[in-house]
Amino acid sequence: MSQQHESVDLVGDETVKYFTTAVLLAALTAALSQISIPIPGPLPPFSLQPFGMFFAGLLLGPLWGGVALLLYLLVGIAGVPVFSNGNAGLGYVVAGQGTGGFLVGFLVGAVVAGAIAHRSTEPRDLGDISVPVQVGALVAAVAVVYAIGVPWLSMVTGLPLVRAATVMAPYVPLDLVKLAVAVVIVEGGYLASR
Amino acid sequence: MLSYRPGSSLAHRLDPRSKLLVQFGLAVAAVAYPTLPGVVAATAVGLTALAAARLSPLAVLRSYRVVVAVLALAPLVAGVALGPPWFRVEPALRSALYVGRVLPILFVSAAYLVSTPVRETRAAVQRLVPGKPGQLLGVGMALVVRLFPLVLADVREVRDAIRARGGERRPVWVRARLLAVRSLSRTLDRSDRLSLALRARCFAWNPTLPALAFARRDYPVALLGVALALSPLARAFPL
Repeated sequence: MSQQHESVDLVGDETVKYFTTAVLLAALTAALSQISIPIPGPLPPFSLQPFGMFFAGLLLGPLWGGVALLLYLLVGIAGVPVFSNGNAGLGYVVAGQGTGGFLVGFLVGAVVAGAIAHRSTEPRDLGDISVPVQVGALVAAVAVVYAIGVPWLSMVTGLPLVRAATVMAPYVPLDLVKLAVAVVIVEGGYLASR
Repeated sequence: MLSYRPGSSLAHRLDPRSKLLVQFGLAVAAVAYPTLPGVVAATAVGLTALAAARLSPLAVLRSYRVVVAVLALAPLVAGVALGPPWFRVEPALRSALYVGRVLPILFVSAAYLVSTPVRETRAAVQRLVPGKPGQLLGVGMALVVRLFPLVLADVREVRDAIRARGGERRPVWVRARLLAVRSLSRTLDRSDRLSLALRARCFAWNPTLPALAFARRDYPVALLGVALALSPLARAFPL
């Protein structure tokens, strides 16, 4: 066994704080993905999963928010049943039932939401960011999720793009409800106090 | 669901990096060749992977039954037409071919899940992503695996508490808000405690790394992964 004889290089306090928040938000995204209502048909289940993306983007900014969702995906790929309905594996993310694009979309969505809200890799205090900007960040995140998820679904299942979009259409109102709930949480100042 | 089972099959003895490469390569190749020979070849690779992990294809189909059932609907949705003849065979067949190539991807992925403990994937990520980012991702994965059951228990507890107070009579958006906010605040409390605990234990950039080594048997598997990942080039530049 080789041994290292250098001095210990401690991780900075700020970095530890962002890192542990990213770790816990990854675990929260995984937990919220399990609280879902499966709907029959070639449709993804209705879940509280997007809240992981919303919180990661708003609380952690583009860099650490992205790390949180990346950790979520990596742990799922490693075999922990963290995707909805207890699924796991790289095969589920790439192909699965065609909904893998939404998982990747959550990662990109968190980065986009964080970039719009914080405009720097270092997260700012949410109390300093106006509510319309935060709401805009969440709307953009949802748009990004669909922009990646629908073409991905079409590519995996061989459905034409328009038909893939039709299949996903019933989910738009559900996601608008989730978006509205997230806006209420932002406006209520539940996040700014953290 | 499929999860790691200790064993001594060929797949168990391979390095996680070569196994990841094959999964990635097969996914690229299967997406690039949505043709019947392509699907047959990919299925052969998938079944070989299952044999290497001593896993029955039926067990895989059983554990992914919801996914497979949903996928089976895609050709029907693709074939339905909004006027006579109401069902068109050609787009349905095309969709069936697309769906058919998903199975081998699931097979290879299942072989990986059964033959690879999480800590090996973590070590592979840490080796593949260089420097500090790789280190944080590696430690982060280990911590998420550890904390996921606790956070899941927190969320379920919050859900039960809302239910116990007659929450089911309240509109869905109110319940969703309560559940999200309460779960988040518990999660952030855990984060504060974890951050304190890590700093108290001298969380450092240079701890001793887990051991990983490519054996001779890994090289052909890694080569197969690279060849599959590059196979679309053969179509772009025919000899």
